[in-house]
Amino acid sequence: MKIVAIRAAILVVLLGAWEIVGRTANPLLYVPPSAALPALGHLLVLESYPDLGQHLWLTLREILVAYALAIAAGLACGFALGFNRLVGRAYGPILAALYAVPAVVWYPSLMLFFGLDAASKIAFGFLLGFFPITLAVLAGIRQVSPQLLVVARAFGADRLTAFRKVTLPAMLFTLVGGLRTGLALTVVGVIVGEVLGSRSGMGSLINHAYGLFRTADYIALVVVTLVLIVGSDAIAGVIEHRAQRWTE
Amino acid sequence: MKPRALGAARPRRDPASRTPLQLTLHVRAVQALSIAALLLAWEGVARAGWVDPLFVPAPSAVARAFGRIGRAAFAGLGDTLLKTAIAYVLAVVIGVGGGILLGSVRGLRQATNPFVVALYGMPKILVLPWIVLFFGFGATPAVVYATIHGVFPILVLVTGAVRDVDRNLLTVARAFGARRWQLYWKVVLPAIVPTVLAAMRLGIVFCLLGVLVVEMFAGVRGMGYVLSSLANGFQAPELFAATALVSAASIVIVLSLDALNDRLSQWRGES
Repeated sequence: MKIVAIRAAILVVLLGAWEIVGRTANPLLYVPPSAALPALGHLLVLESYPDLGQHLWLTLREILVAYALAIAAGLACGFALGFNRLVGRAYGPILAALYAVPAVVWYPSLMLFFGLDAASKIAFGFLLGFFPITLAVLAGIRQVSPQLLVVARAFGADRLTAFRKVTLPAMLFTLVGGLRTGLALTVVGVIVGEVLGSRSGMGSLINHAYGLFRTADYIALVVVTLVLIVGSDAIAGVIEHRAQRWTE
Repeated sequence: MKPRALGAARPRRDPASRTPLQLTLHVRAVQALSIAALLLAWEGVARAGWVDPLFVPAPSAVARAFGRIGRAAFAGLGDTLLKTAIAYVLAVVIGVGGGILLGSVRGLRQATNPFVVALYGMPKILVLPWIVLFFGFGATPAVVYATIHGVFPILVLVTGAVRDVDRNLLTVARAFGARRWQLYWKVVLPAIVPTVLAAMRLGIVFCLLGVLVVEMFAGVRGMGYVLSSLANGFQAPELFAATALVSAASIVIVLSLDALNDRLSQWRGES
């Protein structure tokens, strides 16, 4: 109870300091909360950006498509590498080395190849989401106890049954964690792609507000985008929790 | 080789019948052959005209382009790496220092925890326009943004490590009359070294990523700027060559940090 009060106090102090600084300093750089809230209101009643809904919907669709592709490719690659020792030992290190490259270096090539529209954002979101999912599958398979599989096979389980009853439950926890990280990174990828160069989507609106020094609108747009991000992560969190309970 | 659905269940079939050296050679051969095959196929596809060379240049064209941009690309890379190094030092110092502070002071950690978690989880790209607005163009926004990008993973990991230092060790050290600085120097620091190293390994990629993003967004120099201007100029071979150069540089940096990590943990006597 006390700790909650302290946290609330910190928040109030931060907002208060922001308000004071925002009122006295350059209004292009600092927008106090008292000005950001009305801007958020104008944004939400579609005054400042009447086509907000379309942009939000586009960003959401890009995320969904990129995530679906990342799940499909990540699971396929992960299982192919995890179930075949030679393939795993040969391509695992290559994958890990590629994961060490800051992904944003691929973005200009993707933009050149896929153009400025949704496709390049989907490709970049896919790329960011793909790696954690693949690596989670690999880590999950390594966690499965070989003894359990031997026992299952000895009791006459065929490969599919052994996979369903032993491998999958044992690796599910890691797998679901990877899927959640993958979603978070896909979202980041799509938004980074939009900010770095696009004509529509939330990132392009943020860029537009920034380019015109509409700092209050910019903050309002950031808040809306954050709600989208936090919302998607919350849904993923609920699913993760369910999976966790199921394996216990 | 046919994928075996239950390979994990029978780890001692064919690979183990070879010696480890043979297996390693085998793996290396597969790696080299796959990369060569990929490059050859790519070259063939490009030469056959199945892809538009405007967007997908042949590897040979990329290699030639490398000669053309070599000097500019290395200058850009140097610029980027310098900014990354500054941001990295800042991120490590702030992250480790802050982590030790938050990890040791329980009240402070609990009070600030939701803020740290929120800032850690929030995609930093959303504050990038504001940082550029604030610091203008040039090296400063890149260093600031990359520091913000790199500091949170380090801070969170080190905080956790300090929090989880074995209480018994601290109690014993105190019982033997260790002073506060000795407690940190002799007990806490050695205990968190592996985590700090892991965090540093993570942080370098975050810092490099941060610098590159800023250079692409609002750069006038550096590798990110080189990449985005090559893309805007539709110079695909040069773009691929520059991308390969940055990728190779970051792989080398990360792998050498890994090697250093291994050395240090051997030295500490952990396997």
